[in-house]
Amino acid sequence: MKQITFIIVSLFGFAGFAQQATDSVATYKKRVLETTEVDFLASYYTQDGNNAAVSGGIGTEKLTDVTPTIVVSIPLNDDDVLTIDGGVSAYTSASSSNINPFDGNQPADPFVESTGASSSDMWTNLTGTFTHNSDDRNKIWSAKLSVSSEYDYFSLGFGGSYTRLFNEKNTEISVNANVYLDTWNSIYPYELRPFSENGSGLNSNLFNAHTITGNTNYTPIFNEFSDESRNSYSLGLSFSQILSKRAQGSLLVDVVQQQGLLSTPFQRVYFADVEDSFIENFQLADANELLPDTRFKLALGGRLNYYLNETFVFRTYYRFYNDDWGITSHTAKIEIPTKISSKFTIIPSYRFYSQSAADYFAPYEQHLSTDQFYTSDYDLSKFTANQYGLGVTYTDIFTGFHLWKLALKSIDLNYHYYERNTGLNANIISGGFNFIVF
Amino acid sequence: MKKFIVITLLIAGASSCTVVKEYEKVYLNDPQMMLGKTKKSDRFETNFQAYREAAAGANGGKTGGGCGCN
Repeated sequence: MKQITFIIVSLFGFAGFAQQATDSVATYKKRVLETTEVDFLASYYTQDGNNAAVSGGIGTEKLTDVTPTIVVSIPLNDDDVLTIDGGVSAYTSASSSNINPFDGNQPADPFVESTGASSSDMWTNLTGTFTHNSDDRNKIWSAKLSVSSEYDYFSLGFGGSYTRLFNEKNTEISVNANVYLDTWNSIYPYELRPFSENGSGLNSNLFNAHTITGNTNYTPIFNEFSDESRNSYSLGLSFSQILSKRAQGSLLVDVVQQQGLLSTPFQRVYFADVEDSFIENFQLADANELLPDTRFKLALGGRLNYYLNETFVFRTYYRFYNDDWGITSHTAKIEIPTKISSKFTIIPSYRFYSQSAADYFAPYEQHLSTDQFYTSDYDLSKFTANQYGLGVTYTDIFTGFHLWKLALKSIDLNYHYYERNTGLNANIISGGFNFIVF
Repeated sequence: MKKFIVITLLIAGASSCTVVKEYEKVYLNDPQMMLGKTKKSDRFETNFQAYREAAAGANGGKTGGGCGCN
């Protein structure tokens, strides 16, 4: 019996030693990111329409925007990546110029942009993201911090995500959360400013320098916001699954709660039961936009990708959206990446979008002064939109082209044309250069 | 909504049925098969849609906050 006991204990001892020997053997682990990557991105956007919110649902919506961005991804070690994302958006807008339509060189008119200082602005953003992967690459978590600023808006955001892969990486579940603590620096329509609590009303310089026509007894409702904070809290879940050797799909859910100043302070509203007042050709605001201070959003989306053959891939997307402002929308998109050579891929796409109107929306001159909330922003109206796109991607896996210490990995260029049945149309050209540092 | 629930259950059920080995993922690993954005410049398209439309979320883009938009 003693001999048997000795043998058994010895075997466990050897087993333990063997296990230790196995643990001490180094296993190969591929780096999450082999080397630093740099992306130079840019977009050029133009739009036009006739339902500017700044002039109560009428007037030019002409806008031009240029957005250059740089993204640097730095591998800190085998498992961790730090990404720095910085960009600016410089825009000129006919509609924002009409926040003060009286500072230009020509008569004030909602269909003509003012040449004054309010016609342009710049938005800047800096975001840092840290990502950590587990040794087996089945668990990934990230943390993000962002700051953005423009003349009338400041944002501080932070968030994180956790992703778990299992089922031999056939299944992926991810959860993400974001918080944005934003603040307006409210800018109001110029003619409303004299009607603030300590303002001089009709005795202000504006009304002394210009003649009011129509209703000369101009007495607007000035919604001056004392609390300019705007906070957004979002929680997202996604589930991805490989369906076959050629197909994979995902389901996404996002819930968002917003609270604070959700109105846009400089957007005008005109009431049907109030007589109109004008300076030159510009109708003076009966009020500025007033919306509830809370909003709950729910978005459900799904993707399905199918690899048909070496030439064609089908990418499809659908989203259902609903919020407590009464808006329901549907989005459907299809892309067909088509490989025309080993380096070039062209990507035609089509997107359809439809939404119902917010409960608080009414077109120009259809709100009543007794309404609790009111907006004539056509982004919250009922509409359908079609978007047509064409992109081209060039990929060189051998990174033959070098620029100093940067090796070119890929170039992409995209064009999209967007049109709403309200008359708004837009064009956007965007692209990027992806380099690796060697 | 009912269709979405049915699709959800089908895909959830599929997770227990299909296992594609790593060496069988030649087609799935194609860059164009990636679920979500395939290139960083796709953000510009998503951003202008978030500005011009009331809906946001479930697409990897803005869900609200960070801008004075809807």
